[in-house]
Amino acid sequence: MIEIRNLHVHLGKFHLQGVDLTIGEGGFFVLMGPTGAGKTVLLEAIAGLVPVGKGRITVSGRDITHLPPEKRGVGIMYQDYALFPHLTVAANITFGLRYRRHDREAAGRRFDELVGQLGIGHLLDRYPGTLSGGELQRVALARALVVEPTVILLDEPLSALDQGFREDIRLLLKELHKNSRITFFMVTHDFSEALTLATQAAIMNKGAIVQTGSVRDIFQRPATSFVADFVGMKNILPARFDGTSADIGGLSVEIPRKHHNTTGHISIRPEDIVISLKPLESSMRNSFAGVIAGIVDQGFLYEIHVAVKDLVFKSFVTKGSAVDLALDLGANVQISFKTSAVHVF
Amino acid sequence: MSGEECSRGPSAKAASPGKKAASDRLLFKTFFYSFAGFLFLFSAYLFLSNFDQLLVTEAAVKTRELTTWGEDREILNLFAGGFWKDPYFWKSLNLTLMITILTTILASLVGIPTAYALSRYRIPGKTVIEVLFSSMLVIPASSVGLCLIVMFNYGPFWHLQEKLGFRFAHSIFPGMIIASFVLSFALGLSAWKATFDSVNPRFEQVARSLGSSRWRAFRTVTLPMAKSGLAAGIILAWTRAMAEFGAVLFFCGTFRELPPARFSNLERALHIDQADWLSVAIWAQVEYGNVEYGFALAYILVLIGGISVYAMHRIGAKGYIW
Repeated sequence: MIEIRNLHVHLGKFHLQGVDLTIGEGGFFVLMGPTGAGKTVLLEAIAGLVPVGKGRITVSGRDITHLPPEKRGVGIMYQDYALFPHLTVAANITFGLRYRRHDREAAGRRFDELVGQLGIGHLLDRYPGTLSGGELQRVALARALVVEPTVILLDEPLSALDQGFREDIRLLLKELHKNSRITFFMVTHDFSEALTLATQAAIMNKGAIVQTGSVRDIFQRPATSFVADFVGMKNILPARFDGTSADIGGLSVEIPRKHHNTTGHISIRPEDIVISLKPLESSMRNSFAGVIAGIVDQGFLYEIHVAVKDLVFKSFVTKGSAVDLALDLGANVQISFKTSAVHVF
Repeated sequence: MSGEECSRGPSAKAASPGKKAASDRLLFKTFFYSFAGFLFLFSAYLFLSNFDQLLVTEAAVKTRELTTWGEDREILNLFAGGFWKDPYFWKSLNLTLMITILTTILASLVGIPTAYALSRYRIPGKTVIEVLFSSMLVIPASSVGLCLIVMFNYGPFWHLQEKLGFRFAHSIFPGMIIASFVLSFALGLSAWKATFDSVNPRFEQVARSLGSSRWRAFRTVTLPMAKSGLAAGIILAWTRAMAEFGAVLFFCGTFRELPPARFSNLERALHIDQADWLSVAIWAQVEYGNVEYGFALAYILVLIGGISVYAMHRIGAKGYIW
């Protein structure tokens, strides 16, 4: 278990202010946030590469806040991989084993196993300068994993890769994690990566943790409008609450439960809003008549903007249904969504 | 474009700009090669025009004529019979090589760790240190020499010398080492710092996260990655020490005319007594009228400089001078 308590780091223009995190043993933790949120700084603080101002970091109950990086048992893999250019692939991977007291046989087995699993056996005699991005990535992973750290920190491991490679490496990471007792701590700004990999996640912004929990929780119940925006919630509307109903610019919306404040926001994921030509005979309690104000081509889907009074709701419709419903600018339609689809914060 | 040109087709259109480009290229080549050729010939002439002055014989001194190139040029030296027979020449070479090697070792021992610290750590007053050392590269060496004289002949350093019982100024040890050290160190430091700056600290950080101590990460990662730059810095420091003139002349002066008693037994044993720093010897010999000597010594320095630059190119550390 990694526990971070009230961590403060000041590093030029980057600040971490009172970061609190608890990461389960052997989990796959994903830290998300926009560029400049301080994700890499947090990573380097855990690895011991930047000085910590205040606070505490413990790994499996051991206080590592002021230990030098080599005594932490924390591996790090950077976005640019940082493979040693003057060493062959094999020497890069075994770098961490060279000066360490360890069971040679077991290390050899682990080396063979990782090399096999990552499919880099044919690269062992080559130098990093001659490898492709995907190959560099695999070698860097092998180098970090062969020393069996308690935690491995991955700094945006997928962002520098082509889309095709990305899928491969994502599966590989999942498998590597499944087969080891190592805690994976990955930084990304891509939410879809988190969805497939993480058991636990946190969102970071401006040097502080904004929300933490399971990915599902964050995805469905964002704690702030920043998180909602970050995870792709499109309909975020300021609201005034009265019991289990919310008033949003003159519309009364049923919400799942009472809110502790009288004002706040509601959000509805666009895929939860159903568009129809006539009012639906269904259990959906919220239904409004509106006019199509915009249609945006999103590739597989159309994003339909429906104006209801002064508000605009965004909804996704497949291209097929758009044709079936004959959706066009200015058409009168009905939007409906379940009470449970309304997220209140 | 007119209709007529269009009708002639693409091949005709392409021909005239092609011809123009070819003549442009020819013009450029003519200018470029004549300019480069002029520069080369000029340098070659500079170095070789007086080569025959080295081969003056007793007979030539009598006739006051040099015959090697078939011109009636005047003999520029008063010392005939071969400079290589004169112990002063060998002693001076010996002295300069010995001192510059010592200076380079010292500069490297102090400079490489300093450069590493300046490149990797946040040090208060770092800018001041950098400006101070870089400015030494652009001020005349004579002013450095003058500063050294004042520094060592007054104040705390003077008292130190009184306690130790020997003088720093106008001495071989440690005077020449001090005088040649200053600029050699400054030039080496700038090269070493640039080298460490060019090695991303991330490699070291990864090495440490893989279990290496600070020292081991430096030794196994940064050092091998920086080695050609560091070697270039050492060569630069050595050549700079070799080429030092002003500082040594001001701080140490000349030793040729000093009585043998002025030199210690060690200096006599090392064959560096009554000898001069090479570049100072060039100046001194020319002043005495022994231009032959000047050339002989100058050729040695030219040769050493050329070999050093070539060595730097061979180890792949171009860009520090050229």
